[in-house]
Amino acid sequence: MPRWNRRKKSQAKNEIANSTQSTASSDNPQILQSTAIASLRAVSGNSPDLSKPDTPSPAQLRQLAKQHAEFGPLRDPSHLHTSEHPGGEIPDPVLDEPPYFIALTTYISFLVLIFLGHFHDYFAKWFRSHTYRHLRPQNGYASLYSDFESFYTRRLKQRINDCFERPTTGVPGRYITLLDQTSDDKLHFQLTGTTTDTLNLSSYNYLGFAQSEGPCSDCAEETIRRDGISMAGSCGDTGTSKLHVEVENQVARFVGKESSIVFSMGFVTNATIFPAIMGRGCLILSDELNHASIRFGARLSGAAIQVFAHNNMADLEKRLREAISQGQPRTHRPWKKILVTVEGLFSMEGTMCNLPRILELKRRYKFHLFVDEAHSIGAVGPHGRGVCDYFKVNPAEVDILMGTFTKSFGANGGYVAADKAIIDKVRCTNAGQIFGEAPAPSVLAQIYSSLRLIADEDPLHPGQGLERVQRLAFNSRYLRLGLKRLGFIVYGHDDSPIVPLMLYNPAKMPAFSHEMLRRKISVVVVTYPATPLELSRARFCVSAAHTKDDLDHILRVCDEIGDALELKYSTGIAGGLREPLSRDVSKGGKKAIEPPRWSIEEVIERGTRDAKLPLY
Amino acid sequence: MDIQETQRLLSECLHELANLFHRLPGSAIFLRYVKSSYQNDPIRSAVELFLFLFAVRYLLAPKYSTKPGVVQLSEDEIDDLVDEWTPEPLVGNPTALEEMEVDKRTVIVGPVGPKSKLANGRTVVNLGSFNFYNFNTNESLKEKAIQTLRNYGVGPCGPRGFYGTQDVHMKTEADVASFLGTASCIIYSQAFSTISSVIPAFSKRGDIIVADKGVNFAIRKGIQISRSMVRWYEHNDMEDLERVLAKVTKEQARKPLTRRFIITEGLFESYGDMVNLPKIIELKLKYKFRLILDESWSFGVLGRTGRGVTEHQNVDAAEVDMIVGSLAGPLIAGGGFCAGSEEIVHHQRISAAAYTFSAALPALLSTTASATINILQNSPETVSQLREHTKSLWAQLDPRSDWVYCTSAPENPIMILVLKPEVVAAKRLSIEDQQFLLQDIVDECLTNGVLISRLKTLEDNFEPKQLVPPALKVCVTTGLTKKEIEKAGTTIRHAITKVLSKKK
Repeated sequence: MPRWNRRKKSQAKNEIANSTQSTASSDNPQILQSTAIASLRAVSGNSPDLSKPDTPSPAQLRQLAKQHAEFGPLRDPSHLHTSEHPGGEIPDPVLDEPPYFIALTTYISFLVLIFLGHFHDYFAKWFRSHTYRHLRPQNGYASLYSDFESFYTRRLKQRINDCFERPTTGVPGRYITLLDQTSDDKLHFQLTGTTTDTLNLSSYNYLGFAQSEGPCSDCAEETIRRDGISMAGSCGDTGTSKLHVEVENQVARFVGKESSIVFSMGFVTNATIFPAIMGRGCLILSDELNHASIRFGARLSGAAIQVFAHNNMADLEKRLREAISQGQPRTHRPWKKILVTVEGLFSMEGTMCNLPRILELKRRYKFHLFVDEAHSIGAVGPHGRGVCDYFKVNPAEVDILMGTFTKSFGANGGYVAADKAIIDKVRCTNAGQIFGEAPAPSVLAQIYSSLRLIADEDPLHPGQGLERVQRLAFNSRYLRLGLKRLGFIVYGHDDSPIVPLMLYNPAKMPAFSHEMLRRKISVVVVTYPATPLELSRARFCVSAAHTKDDLDHILRVCDEIGDALELKYSTGIAGGLREPLSRDVSKGGKKAIEPPRWSIEEVIERGTRDAKLPLY
Repeated sequence: MDIQETQRLLSECLHELANLFHRLPGSAIFLRYVKSSYQNDPIRSAVELFLFLFAVRYLLAPKYSTKPGVVQLSEDEIDDLVDEWTPEPLVGNPTALEEMEVDKRTVIVGPVGPKSKLANGRTVVNLGSFNFYNFNTNESLKEKAIQTLRNYGVGPCGPRGFYGTQDVHMKTEADVASFLGTASCIIYSQAFSTISSVIPAFSKRGDIIVADKGVNFAIRKGIQISRSMVRWYEHNDMEDLERVLAKVTKEQARKPLTRRFIITEGLFESYGDMVNLPKIIELKLKYKFRLILDESWSFGVLGRTGRGVTEHQNVDAAEVDMIVGSLAGPLIAGGGFCAGSEEIVHHQRISAAAYTFSAALPALLSTTASATINILQNSPETVSQLREHTKSLWAQLDPRSDWVYCTSAPENPIMILVLKPEVVAAKRLSIEDQQFLLQDIVDECLTNGVLISRLKTLEDNFEPKQLVPPALKVCVTTGLTKKEIEKAGTTIRHAITKVLSKKK
């Protein structure tokens, strides 16, 4: 039976957090003591305890430990960095490849798994036919899903089901509390009633705003007391509040557009915006790795859809030339309009779109541009304002900027920002606005207060948002560089907070996930259908809430597991070398490079300094 | 060199070649093949040789495009075409109706309650929100939400599959399932997206959907994206449904068995009327269809304790294959749910787009849903009081007005008021005229201190087009006394009369 008694659990959590804190303090007692007292002051404000700060009460210590379990304190001002593009076009990331042996074993593993699955199915159909009843037509009803359609989930995914949908409780901050569970058949899970505190590398908590204390939660609490829990209606009816309008203006200001609309769900934002602006006779050119919600919306719009290779600007240009010169199929009438759709930061690859080049193409080919900033808003750019900020591009050049509040802002929902004329029209033609429920006041309050911090509009907490943005930039680069130097193959751009670590072999996914969990780190492992079959990976989502010590711990653990599972495949062409690649080597002489296999001590010692230099 | 010498050389050469040929691996097989295929018929060998040569030519032929009608253009020509092309702007000019809608956006300051303050400073009676039970201003619910906020923060920062599943979500799922009496339940993070995701998770290309013509926008989108074969029956017409079912069954009799679904709503969003569930259950069992029932507007409203249309019409919820509902309306939480058998719920966890690709519901909304369900379950008087209020408002509007009538079911706290056909005919009103007139009525009500809204509709690109008659939407709330409700009803009635009698 699950333990629903929240009070008891939060106590338990405090204790665990406390113990984590004590282990951390044994590492670095002086620093911790000072930050502890500093943040205690910040917490207690004008409490009488200030007079004797050396002896905080146990209750205060517990509160502090809880705070730190949600958001780690900054240990050293050197652990900050500005996320900024040096200028010019962004080079495509170099894709390192593992030895052929690994590719071969990956394919063989899948073949074996598929064979075993069919073998299992074949015999189970004979001997345990009652377990297959739901896959066969019975008394006149077709099965809900076919045997063939569900083969992958039944026979492959189910083997590692315990790595997905792990239930949690509490704040998904720097640490996340997992509810332990057991299973006999990997289909039905029973909660054991115990919990495990793990370092959180899995939540999209880029700026660390997943907190139950601090200015944002205070604002949310105040809003619930004042405005209640829900708007009890859609924006099309009477669900628009003053706070809602304020958030809309604030978002528009933040991303640099005239106007914006806010939705209560990110998926719906994309699913409904395309039908509102595109239709028959229009063409949507979409990156092949665009999110499912974009594909959902594009399909509903009735426009023609073409896909171009991921981040491949030559392919995009080729398709644009073909589309404009050939027009619509059969009739050869010119397309009414063409919408190029890309994501700012791709969630599975960690790559950023090549915005400077896309804008060059836009000037030449006059298409409209839609950038989905679901992951990049808040997370990249010197001021956290997304890819336009990162590439120092005028946001006016992008027609539509879309983003979500789930990731960097610790809230829920999405927005679309554009010129006022577009937004006014879309307000009346967008199903998500007319029929979808309005965002709850508490969620709006979280967006409002976190945006104020990031945009540095909050006079009570100056510089706090910027510090988070800079911590995230440092943490992302530090972890990425460390993993590369240890010898892992890591995908994506240097400044991206999404760090995919390549695993390849299917069996290494559960192994990696379990080994990390044993060492109290929760990670996400991804494979087909989210990625190509042979490119299984673990995806780390770095947060501003992590301290450098956390990252060092992660590097140590990855080093250990990497050796045990033989994951260090890097050849060095993608970085992590002792010296920058000289030009002639990068052109031809691949063999001349010595693969990077740094020792963990060396990685940590040089990491802080090197992470701020151009990565190589 | 004489002729014999040449002959000898030639035969030697041939002999040598034959030897070489025999030494080639596989030559024996080739020879045997040629001999057996020759069969004293040189034409046959000639045809085979021709086929062989054709295959060689085909394989060596240059590649060509399989796209029909591609015009070959030079680079310069393409450049010219690119220069010439002028795309349309991203959105067209706004229509008069749209301009008006943007102008007249209602903005509420402070809480949504029985009386709400608007941005222009006035406090009005709020008959526009789905706050039927006035749970939104309930202090203990607020306290509970704040408690959750202080334990979980606001957002769960991830989709359900990736550490976004919190214990509170599991509890809400269990609560909804036990409230309805189904085996299992799954919650989504927005009500509107739920049904458009549930339908394509089960119904694929080649499957058959039989749906009511009056279903709401979200269902239409779900059907559209599923790409299934769809047959429509007249709105709430059980005879027509039976006719369509019989026809489909007959058509499909000789084809392989595919999944078949009936999709309808409990209380219709656009008309407010109620489904005849026992009859549909009977037909679905007879023709072996599965039933997807959208209870977004009936869950928490109908029945003795608000379990929805199943409780109201005494149908076992387990008989309905999928019940989809909303936690966002009267329950003042957020998100939607789909309840059904364990198998149905489990399948959605992997294949419903809005579930797998979207962040989970904020914890505080999830606990609020659990709490309000608990209130409904334990105090049926809440629901009966709403019904009393609905009756009072209904009495003020439907029988007493010469201009409008109510298409909603008498139990529905959302009253959909449509202009009477004779009024429309007498004044020769187009759809757009009606929309403007109704907006005038809404404005007139607002001037007299009552907030109501127009039924919003949206035209889409899915055939056949749906034509929902323009209407006013009035929502009852138990936060007002009976007297206040009656007074508000009178105000609305007078506003309708005033605006419509002015119109020539």
